[in-house]
Amino acid sequence: MTVSVMIVDDHPIWRDGVARDLGEHGFEVAATAADGDAAVRIARAVRPAVVLMDLNLGSSSGVAAIREITTQLPDTRVLVLSASGEHDDVLEAVKAGASGYLVKSASVRELVAAVRRTAGGDPVFTAGLAGMVLGEYRRMADAPSDQQAPRLTERETDVLRLVAKGLTARQIADRLVISHRTVENHVQSTLRKLQLHNRVELARYAIEHGLDQEQEGRG
Amino acid sequence: MTVAQPQRDPATPLWWGTIVLRWVTLGFALGALLVHLDGYRRPDLALAAFGMMLAWTVVTSVTFGRQRLRRPWLVVADVLVTCGVMLTSPFVLSTEQYEQVAPLVTTVWAAVPPLTAGARFGAAGGVLVGLVTAVSTGVARLDVDLDVARDGVLLTASGLLIGITATTARRSQAALAQALRTEAATAERERLARSIHDSVLQVLARVRRRGGELGGEAAELARLAGEQEIALRALVTTGTAGSSGGAADLRAALQLLATSRVQVSGPAGEVRLPTEHVAELVAVAREALSNVDKHAGPEAKAWVLLEDLGSEVVLSVRDDGPGIAEGRLAEAQAEGRLGVASSIRGRVRHLGGTCVLETGPDAGTEWEIRVPRPERGRDRR
Repeated sequence: MTVSVMIVDDHPIWRDGVARDLGEHGFEVAATAADGDAAVRIARAVRPAVVLMDLNLGSSSGVAAIREITTQLPDTRVLVLSASGEHDDVLEAVKAGASGYLVKSASVRELVAAVRRTAGGDPVFTAGLAGMVLGEYRRMADAPSDQQAPRLTERETDVLRLVAKGLTARQIADRLVISHRTVENHVQSTLRKLQLHNRVELARYAIEHGLDQEQEGRG
Repeated sequence: MTVAQPQRDPATPLWWGTIVLRWVTLGFALGALLVHLDGYRRPDLALAAFGMMLAWTVVTSVTFGRQRLRRPWLVVADVLVTCGVMLTSPFVLSTEQYEQVAPLVTTVWAAVPPLTAGARFGAAGGVLVGLVTAVSTGVARLDVDLDVARDGVLLTASGLLIGITATTARRSQAALAQALRTEAATAERERLARSIHDSVLQVLARVRRRGGELGGEAAELARLAGEQEIALRALVTTGTAGSSGGAADLRAALQLLATSRVQVSGPAGEVRLPTEHVAELVAVAREALSNVDKHAGPEAKAWVLLEDLGSEVVLSVRDDGPGIAEGRLAEAQAEGRLGVASSIRGRVRHLGGTCVLETGPDAGTEWEIRVPRPERGRDRR
């Protein structure tokens, strides 16, 4: 079965280019959207396997759209495809549930491989993303207020550092003398802990600020 | 930015001070008037003079309280009105009162104009009006004695001091505004550099790579795009590492080294270090990358990783080239051919850090540089 993909980007030229590249490689481009709100709406109707998401969507927030899509559509995976400079946004997107990040300057081959990995349920953990996740865990460890913040195990730290230095899963497995699958599991686990923590934080924030009651009152 | 809105005059508190002082001294003048009213030669003229002082105090309170109404001619009028009222004294005071050295009609109320002139025109204006008021006091006293001379010195000195204060306040405000503008310009420049890097440079990189793949005329276009990419990258890199307060963001500075073959990773937020550390570490990364270009071949990729451990920062530069065969390193060093490596070591040692070079046949090369964070920089995290 072909993998259905949805492309969210506010640049038509980029959108069409990516759609053509993916179409040539056997993917079904089921839909496109130019902003976050439309992305959530269309994704609900189309239920694509993978959403390719730019974070720089003019007025609407790509991060909020990712949170909506990943909570409402558990079978849909989001791959962030963005410019290289938006570190804070990328980190937020991953915490909101995106399962990977690729820079826009990546080659078509890299893009195709990344979409395929995402469709298969594996995270696309580029060196850039590993560096950010590593930094985020260290930031949380330094913040004394965040008692419930997740921590990395020593092994997870080793694996993330090697990913951030550009080693492939195979090379990491060789270097640490563990199996390829174990490397993947470590990487998955660092991401899952971060996303879970983010969800807990959001829920706690909502309760503390009475947002949950307000919503009930309205509905 | 709105054009019509003038900046607040930093001497404004001084103006408000003169308004308060005018009312306080007016009260004083009223007291003197009531005490001496019976002995005056012309009580009616004394009351008229006081009426004028009251009216003028109201007028100046309204006008000098507003920045746009602090006109030069009003300050001049202030001097004229004050001296005019003062000069009615010879007609108001009786001969006995002059002999007893009773106060002039204006009393200390006349001390305010040198202050307003100082606030408006600076030290020279304050001194000039101080002198004019002093001369006027002498004329109204019909005599120049020690008291008049002392008043003259005090009037002139107060005008001088307020003038100096007002000028200093305006100069420091101008200097502050200049500093803020410079800082804003630097921030804007950094923002532009980042945005150029994220947009134009990425497109040029894509054109260069894709064109190279296609060959022919497209390859020629790719070559041109590549030249512009390098030129633009150099343009946005120069001067952007320097930043406010002697500290800069190493993360952002390193990001500018990214190309289609070099990937830069690090924490999402800023990694602030003293400007010198940032410049040196960027130079270190640049040298390590130039080594990759020279020795690892054109197909090799490289990764730069920055980690912030709080008390130290770790900079890793790794490539996936063929690496350096065992023994070759020592050999090269013995022949003095390891220029870049020794330059990197020198820079790192200068920053009080350590560096490790790991390499082996078919294992690429990897620099790991650890530099302690200076105490001052640590507070800024």
